[in-house]
Amino acid sequence: MTVTMFLLGLLYVGLVVALLGSGVNGATVAIIAGGLALVNVFASDKLALAAMGARVVTPQQAPQLHAMIERLCVQADLPKPKVAVAQTAMPNAFALGRSPKSATVCATTGIMELLSPAELEGVLAHELTHVQNRDVLVMTLAGFFATLAAYIVQFGFFFGGGSSYGDDDENPSFLVLFLVSLAVYVISFFLMQALSRYREFSADRGAALITGRPSALASALVKISGGMQRIPQSDLRAAGRLQAFYIFPPGAGKAIGGLFSTHPPMEKRIAALQRLEAQLQGTA
Amino acid sequence: MGFFDVLRGKRQLKKPVPTDRLFAMSTAQVTMELELELKSDGKAGIVFQPLATADFEGIVRDMEEVVRGAGSDTGTTIEITDDDFGYRWMVLVDPDFEDLVVGLNAVSTALEAGGYGDRILCAVFAFRDSAGKPVYWIYNYKRGAFYPFVPAGGAQQRDNERELRLKAQIAAELPIEAELERWFPLWGIPI
Repeated sequence: MTVTMFLLGLLYVGLVVALLGSGVNGATVAIIAGGLALVNVFASDKLALAAMGARVVTPQQAPQLHAMIERLCVQADLPKPKVAVAQTAMPNAFALGRSPKSATVCATTGIMELLSPAELEGVLAHELTHVQNRDVLVMTLAGFFATLAAYIVQFGFFFGGGSSYGDDDENPSFLVLFLVSLAVYVISFFLMQALSRYREFSADRGAALITGRPSALASALVKISGGMQRIPQSDLRAAGRLQAFYIFPPGAGKAIGGLFSTHPPMEKRIAALQRLEAQLQGTA
Repeated sequence: MGFFDVLRGKRQLKKPVPTDRLFAMSTAQVTMELELELKSDGKAGIVFQPLATADFEGIVRDMEEVVRGAGSDTGTTIEITDDDFGYRWMVLVDPDFEDLVVGLNAVSTALEAGGYGDRILCAVFAFRDSAGKPVYWIYNYKRGAFYPFVPAGGAQQRDNERELRLKAQIAAELPIEAELERWFPLWGIPI
């Protein structure tokens, strides 16, 4: 994981060098992308909740869910996040917000019906660990340069082509920037996925620590993944960008290569949880 | 938590604050009874997550024996129940308030000595006001602070005004949780 972070950092330094080398256009792109990243950090939770059709609920509306989260917060020594519920049969849960103070934890009605209280507790503890580890902020910042590179690749021709109509020789550096950006975009994509997988393992481990019941979370994962495969994917078009913070990625029913996935394969997560359970039982 | 911990996404579960702040309740109780007309209900409970491991169950069994053994001298009786959330309540019953505090401290000390201090959720002291309505004081071991919890009757309603007044009345004697958003309610307290 430290290696992944290091490689991402190295990659981004390379991109910055290329940006500086290419002059003003790159700086303009950086400012635009920086602004977008800020919007992402500060407003994405509301947008995401709206996209999921989730509503923040009061303790009166969802007493069990609130009470469960409150107890987990005491155990994890976290301030209580806002609690939201999404009316969908798809069993899933996710956490939003840049800091523990502004976090929102959302569960779908599907997951609340599917899981037993102990399993649901494991899933909520997993999401609270994402909050505690500030995963939304870390992933947004880690993804900043990847986003920047993506903008350059997508809109690069407008920036690069504008001033040099009919005179291609003046902008040799732009082609270099374009190629560097493309490389950064591709490589950082894989590194980001690796980072996300690592943080999923961390969140599973943190959830097991908070609840003291790794097997309950493992059993929840089995149930959720079974449910995910049965349920059609068609209504998830808006959910793509939220995937990293789901307890289980919506597309996981399809066979995705290990490198492309934001979540580790379920077997590996369950195996890791079982190792924790063995440690807990003193048999490992 | 440190910056590097944030980056690595690793953090241990917080352990209880190692202090004897629980005993502040002994003196505060006298003030509450004399000045605030809050009488102890003669009951206090400690709530923890029971782990399904042989080691943990052994520690809990030993601890129960110790507390029951001590109870035969002091007259303290204990009731053990598991609630809907899978947490275990160990409720001590004794008209002598001092014995309740000492008993709760014995339980938490035994759990901590076994390395399971981070499994303790909280301790709860039950009081009744002059009208006979329940008033609870909850002690959060991880933060080493108390907060009041007054159910208001009706589903999931609490009397925030009363709670804030209690805080003002007793703050000089009890370490009170400063962040109001951490005054977590406990619905369906079995004491």
